[in-house]
Amino acid sequence: MNVPVFRSRWLARHSVSASDQRSAMLLLSPMMAVLLAVAVFPVLYSLWTSLFDIKLTRMNNVSFVGLGNYVTTFRDPMFWAAVRRTAWFTVSAVVAIMVIATLMALLLNQEFRGRRILSTALLIPWAIPYVVDGLMWKWIYDSGYGALNGLLLQLGLIRHSVVWLGDTHKTLALICNAFVWKEVPLATILLLVTLKSVSPDLYAAARVDGANVWSRLFHVTLPAMRPGFMLVMIYEAMMAVRHFDLFFILTEGGPADASHVLSWHIYVETFRNLSFGTGAAIAYLLALATFGMSYAIIRLLGKRL
Amino acid sequence: MSERTNFGNGRRRFLHLSAGAGLAATGMLGALTRASAAEAVNLYTWSAGVDTVKRQLAEFQRKDGLAVKYNNLPFAQYREAMVTKFVGQAPIDVLWVSDGWLPEWADAGWVAPLDAYPQLLSYNADAQDFCNQSMRYKGRQYGLTYYTDYMAFLYDADKLAKAGIAAPPASWQELVDQSIKIKKAGLSEYPLMLSMARESWLIEFMSALVFSNGGRFVDDNGSVLMDDPKHGATGSLQWVVDAVNKHHILSPACVELGELNGFKSVASGNHAFALLPRYRIQALNDPRQSHVAGNIRQALMPAGSNGSHTTVAWMRMHAMSASAGANPARAANASRLIEAFGGKFNGQYAFQKAMFLDTGTAFGVKPLFNDTEVRAAYEKYGDFSMFQKQQNLARKKDVIARWFGEWDEVNGTAWQSAILGQSTVADALKRSADKWKSLAKQA
Amino acid sequence: MSSALLAKRFALLAGSVLMLIYVLAPIAWLLSSSLQREADITSIPPHWIPNPPTFASFKAIIDAGTGVTSTDGNASFVPSTAEYLLPALRNSLIVASAVVVLNLLVSIPAAYAMAKIRYVGRNMSVYFMLATRVIPDIALVVPFFLFVRKLGLLDNVGALIITYLAITIPFSVFMLLSYFESLPDELDKAARVDGCSRVQSLIKVFLPLAQPSLVAVIMFTFLTSWNEFLFALMFTQTAASQTVPIIVASFTSDFTTSFSFINAAGVVAIVPPVIIAVVFERYIVSGLSAGAVKG
Repeated sequence: MNVPVFRSRWLARHSVSASDQRSAMLLLSPMMAVLLAVAVFPVLYSLWTSLFDIKLTRMNNVSFVGLGNYVTTFRDPMFWAAVRRTAWFTVSAVVAIMVIATLMALLLNQEFRGRRILSTALLIPWAIPYVVDGLMWKWIYDSGYGALNGLLLQLGLIRHSVVWLGDTHKTLALICNAFVWKEVPLATILLLVTLKSVSPDLYAAARVDGANVWSRLFHVTLPAMRPGFMLVMIYEAMMAVRHFDLFFILTEGGPADASHVLSWHIYVETFRNLSFGTGAAIAYLLALATFGMSYAIIRLLGKRL
Repeated sequence: MSERTNFGNGRRRFLHLSAGAGLAATGMLGALTRASAAEAVNLYTWSAGVDTVKRQLAEFQRKDGLAVKYNNLPFAQYREAMVTKFVGQAPIDVLWVSDGWLPEWADAGWVAPLDAYPQLLSYNADAQDFCNQSMRYKGRQYGLTYYTDYMAFLYDADKLAKAGIAAPPASWQELVDQSIKIKKAGLSEYPLMLSMARESWLIEFMSALVFSNGGRFVDDNGSVLMDDPKHGATGSLQWVVDAVNKHHILSPACVELGELNGFKSVASGNHAFALLPRYRIQALNDPRQSHVAGNIRQALMPAGSNGSHTTVAWMRMHAMSASAGANPARAANASRLIEAFGGKFNGQYAFQKAMFLDTGTAFGVKPLFNDTEVRAAYEKYGDFSMFQKQQNLARKKDVIARWFGEWDEVNGTAWQSAILGQSTVADALKRSADKWKSLAKQA
Repeated sequence: MSSALLAKRFALLAGSVLMLIYVLAPIAWLLSSSLQREADITSIPPHWIPNPPTFASFKAIIDAGTGVTSTDGNASFVPSTAEYLLPALRNSLIVASAVVVLNLLVSIPAAYAMAKIRYVGRNMSVYFMLATRVIPDIALVVPFFLFVRKLGLLDNVGALIITYLAITIPFSVFMLLSYFESLPDELDKAARVDGCSRVQSLIKVFLPLAQPSLVAVIMFTFLTSWNEFLFALMFTQTAASQTVPIIVASFTSDFTTSFSFINAAGVVAIVPPVIIAVVFERYIVSGLSAGAVKG
């Protein structure tokens, strides 16, 4: 048997035409080339690293421990505490982003004067580098001279300065707020793009059927936005779970570990304790969880796939 | 199953496999970069006083003829960036090193000892004792100091006067009494500023408190003292906890307050007393930056009942990388730069003096205290004799060891949890002590 | 005017105001503080309106960039790395623009193939692509560094370009893929019946319709490259390649620290992305609706 026959039978079994397969491979090749050349090595390297007992201070003298780093991680109560905090942060962030972005996208989908100003203003939080953003929020939240306390005091809503970031019950929520604020623009745009692809015929048909605003919203608009919801949920969940910058700038994992999330935990393991192997193991556990989460969301909300 | 593996080979295999494609496309860019970096000395510093460094480098290059490639990175991320560069074997010749990182980097073989260069060691005679101690590890010296400073005790003379207090407190107990008086007079809600946020400054604040209370974290042999009720950190931590929760002279927000925001808070006139790095005095007395300009003075660190007016000092130095040290030509060049910037240049401690005059940062070389220009510059905003007096009473941190970074994480969290009331002082310090013991055992 | 219309107008107005406040309040504070004197910024209570307003910080940025040492004294607490801010803006622009262009060239064909062509390995390719992004960047820093060093690209914007390309491609493809899937397959078939190849069909039929999502991808790629901090920190070490986030970070850990300066730098850092946003936003908000698909 010759190879071309094998190949065409194999393709035929998946009901794929040979010319389609060729076209697809051609169109995919630039992306695969970049990812294989650049992204794959670091990913595999980290996996490899996680199987060894490696300290950054003695990279040439390592021992193979197999799953040992993973076992150590599972036994570490700090790891589980970080998982709890990360889970709380991610769920809160994704929910908040979805709600706010949906409302904003619905608003911007209407035609009204001044809409351009709104949509331009929307993009500004997104445009600020995290370094500046973190400092700005740190300052706003400051108990002594921060704008938040200043505003609330002037409005008479509080009588004494409130401790914000320093209060371990509030820390994570405040960081979440800063994160959500910066992520909402992109989420809104993605949802808006989806909204734009909803055919007006659907609305027309619904109106003809006598549906009012709310009914149109719930039975036409929101269901049609499902691909957008899926995209935003996956993206924002992935971003929230691995987010690092704000935790570094605002609290460095404190106070008293109140904001010691998984991404911070990986950083501490890798760059403060210089334990490269365990850092990589934790990173891989996080990666697996993230992938599983995305897979679940795609399965739940996706059309194909 | 365990096997000794030379990890480098596996790493290189992977590199070759996947880098091939990218290499072809970008090889040209790479060649350009490699060529230009060939002969110059690669200097790495953090991004502080950059224009002063550049000016001094220009002078040096003109006189000495040695080419220097100057790289700098933000201080807050300097350590991890340099660790990455060491692991990745980026070309480094001379670099700034902070005292806390020396054991770790020396043990990792990233910095080279300077004992083979007697002309460099000759400058030690002029340096403060705590500097010399900090530059040495396991009997060898690794750098020449160019900057040192200490945690100073500052007070707002205006607030004290308004509260009818004649002189700043000489003891921590007196500080509490004076603060309560100031608070009652309505002059400040939280008279004391203390930064207890998680960051690299935290250990300095803690050490100043512990030392002045007559305690230590560890003794000279590295054995744990921190949880000892009499000789450890117990008294100091308890004092802080009481300041927040009992006397209410220290804000519970101190655990979120970093050194920078704390400094700004003092500048806005919120506090009567503060612990801050001494060089902040200049900005605090500058009317363009501070509401309380002209009122901030330095006093000796208050003493605990079993303590003294000691404080903690930190030191930064110019060091030579191990890769430079292994190559005779590079090592010779590097030592010339280290001598110029860490020792004397043109017969003067020019680099240290320039840094002081431009940025207000102090120096570890005693002869500069006799320099009239230095004195005159300082007198514009501070008390020169107090500057010198406190520096002579400063000691280096006692927790500097190879595992300092890892221990610092646990200790910082422990202190914060005690201040927040989540844990007792004894429990918190026990956690710190246990962590130190377990890390020391693994050594 | 009917009451329903009035109610709708009111709801729109209320919604807009709320949205503006949510989005702009912190920015307004940023802007206000960049126009204040350093001593005023930490006032209690805060000065909401700069009083007196001053452009000293912005002037200092320009002065530092053009090498003029300001003599009005405000220069004494300009960070020592201030002169690198404008070159950093240039670096960031170069990097972000290059990444956008390369990203589009790579992502569009891939997304089209994944959305519209049945081929063996389709699901795998989507999951593979996402899998390259599930590992947190911190764990990838050291291997990426080794890779960049091997290529000799340390302290070169090329390192940032290829890295950012690799990290933005997966989501760009995912976004485009999601949008292409919502466009009817009939278009494709019609074009090919007319004699177009797959590639021609992509360029002539799908791209014009995909403007909103293309713009979203452009903005996403640009801003991700603009704001990225960790890799820029590790791969760059001099002004030749350092980008805006690194330089701003260096302002905060210098010996002289000026909040008004840092905030002014922040405001300046926002300007190029906002310009891009203004240029492109109409393609998203006011863009084509899928109604054009009919007929």
